Amino acid sequence: MADTAGGMHLWAIATASVVAAACALVGTLLVVRRQSLLGDAIGHAVLPGIALAVLAGARPGGVAVFGAAVACALVTVGLVQALRAAAGLAEDAGAGVVFTSLFAAGVVIVTLGASRIDLDASCVLYGILEMVPFDTVPVGGVEVPRGFVSSAAVLATLVAVAVPTWKLQVFSAFDPDGARAAGVPVAAVTTGLLAATAVATVAGFEVVGAVLVVALLVVPAAAAELLVHRLHRVALLAVAFAVGGAIVGYLLAYRWNTSAGGVIAVVLVAEYVVAALLAPEDGCVAQVAGRIRFAWRVAREDRLAAVWRAMEQRGTPASPRSALEHLAGWWLRVRGRIVGAASLSAAGRREAEMVVRSHRLWEAWLGRHADLPLDHLHPPAEWVEHHLGEAARRRIEAELEHGRGDPHGREIPPEA
Amino acid sequence: MSGGLPCSAALVAAASGLSASPTGSTVIGMAVPGVPYNTLVVACGVAAVGCAAGVVGSLALLRKRPLVGDAAAHATLAGVAGAFLLTGRRDLVSLLTGALVAALVGLGALVLVRRVTRTRDDAATAIVIGGGFGLGIALVSGITARGIPGGGGLEHFLLGHAAALTADDARLLMAVSAAAIALVVFALKEFTLVAFDASFAAATGWPVVLLDQALVTLVAVMVVVGLPAAGAVLVTALIVIPPVAARQWTDRVGTLVALAGGWGAAAALAGVVVTSARPGLPTGPVIVLAAACFCLLSVVASPRRGWLGRTLRAAAERRAWAAGLLLDTCLRASERGDGTFTVADVTDGRTARAAWRTLEHEGLVERLHERTADGRVPRVAWRLSGRGLDRARQRRRRAADWAAAFDRAPAAARERFSLDLPECAIATDAGATRAT
Repeated sequence: MADTAGGMHLWAIATASVVAAACALVGTLLVVRRQSLLGDAIGHAVLPGIALAVLAGARPGGVAVFGAAVACALVTVGLVQALRAAAGLAEDAGAGVVFTSLFAAGVVIVTLGASRIDLDASCVLYGILEMVPFDTVPVGGVEVPRGFVSSAAVLATLVAVAVPTWKLQVFSAFDPDGARAAGVPVAAVTTGLLAATAVATVAGFEVVGAVLVVALLVVPAAAAELLVHRLHRVALLAVAFAVGGAIVGYLLAYRWNTSAGGVIAVVLVAEYVVAALLAPEDGCVAQVAGRIRFAWRVAREDRLAAVWRAMEQRGTPASPRSALEHLAGWWLRVRGRIVGAASLSAAGRREAEMVVRSHRLWEAWLGRHADLPLDHLHPPAEWVEHHLGEAARRRIEAELEHGRGDPHGREIPPEA
Repeated sequence: MSGGLPCSAALVAAASGLSASPTGSTVIGMAVPGVPYNTLVVACGVAAVGCAAGVVGSLALLRKRPLVGDAAAHATLAGVAGAFLLTGRRDLVSLLTGALVAALVGLGALVLVRRVTRTRDDAATAIVIGGGFGLGIALVSGITARGIPGGGGLEHFLLGHAAALTADDARLLMAVSAAAIALVVFALKEFTLVAFDASFAAATGWPVVLLDQALVTLVAVMVVVGLPAAGAVLVTALIVIPPVAARQWTDRVGTLVALAGGWGAAAALAGVVVTSARPGLPTGPVIVLAAACFCLLSVVASPRRGWLGRTLRAAAERRAWAAGLLLDTCLRASERGDGTFTVADVTDGRTARAAWRTLEHEGLVERLHERTADGRVPRVAWRLSGRGLDRARQRRRRAADWAAAFDRAPAAARERFSLDLPECAIATDAGATRAT
């Protein structure tokens, strides 16, 4: 399979998908812990570990490289804490010092040792996904890329560890003090997440390079978080986003003849943008649509109430206060709610009475409980009239004395 | 402030002097014989950028937003590549203009994500990094793969490559850096006020939001002019590390700004010098490593805030405290009998024996004569010397005064400091020692 061009691409896509899934799984926990930038820091900081391990003769993707990366991640966090203890340095400044320095050290090591190892500054930055299918090992008689084997092992390990410890991770992430009180070894759980991040980072390193690992870790989880609320669903959706992004990104990069790592990151961000726009509950589109719907309802109700009041006082209705209310008046005529110059159909009258009823009930309630002067009752009622439902109206009415009008002495229409 | 102003003035002078090329060339060319004029100008340009980045970064550090430029820095790569694709040219001005646009777009995207989505700040930063840098990587490697003429140099913006700069480029960097430093010096008081007490600044009518935006824009500008030397990935370090190092040496803002500028310049110079000796090495990592060395040195060895100094001071304070307690014990022991005591009477444990050596060394106790108890073990008798007696009595008086003042204090205060001398004072002291 690996000897045909199509097979090569399939292996590369498979590797990218597996790695993206592993990163998204770990990244979910980082995102809910608000520690996304820890992923960024570790992505940079593992470089000297990887470089030294490879320089010392370890195979890229081998166990020694993963061990060195985990060690580097722990050193990074330890250094940040030491800087805080020794120099009183805030965590973000400390991380800024440590991860840039370690990354710089890694680049220098890689550059100086480039003649002796097959790792150079460009694969640190671009990833080497395109090269993955060329380095194969036989597995059960099939030539399988070494990169795929190691990333599959990483994913399997992470899943095997994540499933039984998921509850501990969630508890420690959302309520560390409670978890500590309940006897959860929070420090160990956190260190475990750190190690998992380092391991996923090393896998991601091959696919998108050291800098863009943070995109693999964080972006799918951030997108999934906008769509679903239960954490395990966030994780599953993040994995799905990551795999989709990896596949689409690779194909687009092939089509455009450019770096797969870069395009994968861009596709993941595009997924996030789509999620942010289209999320059913609090996506931008849903929010704007909700606001427009509400404004439209307010305009219609205001118009109906204005006509109803005019009928009550046998005058002419107040003119619309906004263009939207004009439009609402026209629409209500089209729908037959407003008939003639200033009268309402039966349905229109019923709807208008509920608005006016809400308005006057609220005025009555305020007049009784808030001790406001009479001329201060109208503005709040003008707002609240659009928010009271039938149950609320009945409760207010039950509390007020029956048979009495609003504070201005006008009658409160009965419930329909 | 006092350090910043002449520094900036000198930079402006240098920039203008260098642009008047014949005189500048002679002056600087004579100053360092054997170094090509171009290299010298480039070194000055990069040093100026390092200096300005340190100066601007100090304000960002004081405002507790040291990493504010990180997302923007990564996004600049897309701007550089985009500008190259749009203009087809590779002159620094158009590339850096593109970078500045991308940096500002990145910052805008950050604000937008924060405003309109539930995504939190950290994830928003990661998203901007992923989008901007991913796009940059895709564009740069697409340009490289297509062999577009002049596109090869774009990779230098990833990790920095000072050797690719021309004298004209360096003059541009110097001018921008001088302007940035001048702006900081001009508004140092306002920036300091906002950094230390934003709500007071707002209450007294300073435009806090405007000043914050100005600071963020300054950081973005420094990120952009830092690109040719340090590269998109590491330029943040130019803004973070020198101020962190400088912070260890001073508590004054003016000094901090000047020191950070100086160290930024020194680190940048080190980067240029090392990479001109080893041409294969990118400049950015070397600059960052040089800055990191300064930083490590400062954190360990700066006299007041440094780890070494504080550890030594804490140990000295602990010794002095233990010696004081032992002196009290000696006074009590000498009052019980004939004014003499043995070492074993007053010391138990390692700390007390160390404190005993201090007393002995300071001459607060003196040896009398040897006497034998039940005829077998020779015991050495000691008593407090005159000075020791004075000091021990003074300590006792002071403790009594404290206790009396404590008794007179209101009950609420007594509850907060349950002062039960001397045991409780030991606990308080141990706490204080840990806290420092």
